[in-house]
Amino acid sequence: MENLLSIFSVVFLSQVFRMFTPYFFGAIGGAYSERGGVINIAIEGFLISSAFSFAVVNIFTGSIILSFIIAMLVNAVLSILFAIFTVKLKTDHIVTGVGFNLLIAGLADFLIAYFFKTSSNTPRFEEIPTIEVLSFLPFLSDPLIIVAFATVPLSAFVFFKTRFGLRLRSVGENPQAAESLGVKVRFYKIAGVVLCGIITSFGGIWLASYQNTYSQGMTAGRGYIALAAMIIGKWKPVNIFFVCLMFAFFEALEIKLQIIGSFIPSQFIQSLPYIVTILVLIGFIGKTRPPAADGVPY
Amino acid sequence: MIPAIEFKNITKQFGNLKANDNVSFAIRKNSVHCILGENGAGKSTLMKILYGAYQPDSGKLFVDGKQQNFHTPHDAINAGVAMVWQHFMLIDDFSVLENVILGNEPISGIKIDFKTAQKKINDVITKFNLGLNPDDKVEKLSIAEQQKVELLKILYRKPSIIIFDEPTAVLSPVEVDEFFNIITKLKDSGNTIILITHKLREVIQIAERVTVLRQGKKVYEAEATEIDEDILGKEIVGDSSFEIASETKLETDGEKKVAILEKAGLSSGGYSKLNDINLVLRAGEISGICGVEGNGQNEIVDILLQLLSVENGTAELNYSSVSVVPDDRIKKGMISEYTIGENVITRKMGFEIALKAKLKKLSEILIKSYDIRTPDYFTPMGNLSGGNQQKAIVAREIENQSELIIFSHPTRGVDLKSSLFIHDEIIHVRNSGRAVLLVSSDLDELFKLSDRLIVLYNGQTVKEYEPLELKSRLKDAESFTVEVGKLMVGAGIE
Ligand SMILES: Nc1ncnc2c1ncn2[C@@H]1O[C@H](COP(=O)(O)OP(=O)(O)OP(=O)(O)O)[C@@H](O)[C@H]1O
Ligand SMILES: [Mg+2]
Repeated sequence: MENLLSIFSVVFLSQVFRMFTPYFFGAIGGAYSERGGVINIAIEGFLISSAFSFAVVNIFTGSIILSFIIAMLVNAVLSILFAIFTVKLKTDHIVTGVGFNLLIAGLADFLIAYFFKTSSNTPRFEEIPTIEVLSFLPFLSDPLIIVAFATVPLSAFVFFKTRFGLRLRSVGENPQAAESLGVKVRFYKIAGVVLCGIITSFGGIWLASYQNTYSQGMTAGRGYIALAAMIIGKWKPVNIFFVCLMFAFFEALEIKLQIIGSFIPSQFIQSLPYIVTILVLIGFIGKTRPPAADGVPY
Repeated sequence: MIPAIEFKNITKQFGNLKANDNVSFAIRKNSVHCILGENGAGKSTLMKILYGAYQPDSGKLFVDGKQQNFHTPHDAINAGVAMVWQHFMLIDDFSVLENVILGNEPISGIKIDFKTAQKKINDVITKFNLGLNPDDKVEKLSIAEQQKVELLKILYRKPSIIIFDEPTAVLSPVEVDEFFNIITKLKDSGNTIILITHKLREVIQIAERVTVLRQGKKVYEAEATEIDEDILGKEIVGDSSFEIASETKLETDGEKKVAILEKAGLSSGGYSKLNDINLVLRAGEISGICGVEGNGQNEIVDILLQLLSVENGTAELNYSSVSVVPDDRIKKGMISEYTIGENVITRKMGFEIALKAKLKKLSEILIKSYDIRTPDYFTPMGNLSGGNQQKAIVAREIENQSELIIFSHPTRGVDLKSSLFIHDEIIHVRNSGRAVLLVSSDLDELFKLSDRLIVLYNGQTVKEYEPLELKSRLKDAESFTVEVGKLMVGAGIE
């Protein structure tokens, strides 16, 4: 029991927030896309592309700022491509997403071999430094965690209080109605997808940064879990925040229990987030309703 | 004077079907102009062209004397045109306020100025007496209330040219009068108004000029002073004449009671509540429910469909099968992307193989016998004209041979001739010994078809006219209309 309590330490909390960050950026990014009616399962791919480009630029230039910006740009370009397919050419969102995921993962594997003559991981590089003045706060001194925290109220504000958000939601709910009022449907759909790509890049950058390397398969399906978190969070920023925190908590707990050894089988802990997910999906914890025209090409 | 709008040789084709065929006419500034025509005549198509939602294949469009090529509604809105669509353009998940301001949001700083919006909207609601709450979610509103939200959207925007595509189809007579008051006010303040309706009485009441379309062509144009209902009726259908079947009403109760609701009540679940519903549906009888929409009609229908169950009192449902023509055809009655045949087969219970030949046969029967106008068999239902969608749904439900058939606004948006046809069919259904429940806001329709009439107000059945009584009361239809009208709004209830 003592063992069990000891896990709730500062170190444990930092671990939770470490897990939390990529989930959160993926999930909140996904919400921008889906609020505009584009289902984006390419989030997994977007995590890979940003983690990879951050790592490569960092290794070659040593500049964190430059690698950060390039990673964002890479994701912006990829998501514009994704938007051209899904919004302009009206391809099926899921099929396009699967295509992007396979393509990006494959490309990253290829480029790793090409640049570094290895198939597993890149050389190590410097991580994003923490903010000095905040270093007394163990996990809040990481810039990207601060960004994550700020993104919650900011996104809620954007979705529900701004013109952009109202119009974005309107094209996800009923594009015909939005168009009949003069709303430029395509513009908002594309904007949602591109914002998704850029926001998701923070998650990928974070993954690479705190592990000081890019390794093959490091995203480990986090993009899909992020999507689940978005759905359970009902496409609402505050809910998404807490759902991601819950996922991260259980994941950190599982790792911890494996280390210290415990009478609770770690597989049980490991499955808790998924049990919660299933409970939510079958309607035990309130109904979830996606944007009415989510996934419908327009 | 330069006309507000001028159509010059507008043609629009879908496949082989010419929805608009070389249409030319003008609409005077600051007038109320009615456009008439059968289902599928091309009225909505022409209006969508004017609103930039469709582009004509050929022809020109002038607005205020200037030639315009509207590529999107955005362009038309900028030129001062607004439109209330035949099928509502509302976002169910949004509040009334959000629906109204969308595309035209007042901004303060980087934020929507909700306070100003709220105030502006409340002013319009009060001024025009719309009785809406800006914070209500649209999905909780009745169809008539949703119509008012559409109206509110227009009034909030202050356009100069306003298109109303069959706005009165969903309104009760009292509401139509209120709506026409608003139209008059709008005209007095300088607007140009285009109104589409199938109800000739309304045309006589409000139009200054009329244009009739038939099979895509303009066939008639006249000033209000030159028209009456007869002339219009003939121009609309062309040469083909039609007969009105003799109506026979029952004088005695139908024998078998297929459904009995006794003191039925419902306090949650539905959006409005039921508190004292007494209703007996009998085989071989048409029971009409009349009332202003939103007084419990939908809840009664949902109880009969077993989508809701009563919480107080009893509901005894003795039928083995039930069909329904729902009040909201787009949301509850059809799958827009499916063809007629697919919509029929989807409705059938049990295992069916949807072979193309079979689908064609299924739709062929309905298209022929119910005169559904469609470009071809495999046009998705969403691309049919509103009235033709309605006809397809009525046809499908009648053909289903259920023991009880519920008709909720069966002729909503259906032209005169087809309405009469549907009325005949409803009488046939009754004569074949099945039970019919008719819900409508059209008193003429109710009086014509009902063997028994029940008035609904505020979730209560406030009055029931037995067959014999109803028959004798209808001899003086005028005073009976007044009496029922009063009951419907809650007057004269002890
Ligand atoms: N997008 C479309 N694709 C194919 N056919 C269409 C489309 N829109 C309309 N049509 C066809 O054009 C014809 C005219 O339709 P329209 O909606 O203009 O009729 P309407 O006069 O408004 O009839 P109603 O009184 O029933 O509303 C119909 O036969 C309809 O099926
Ligand atoms: Mg129409």
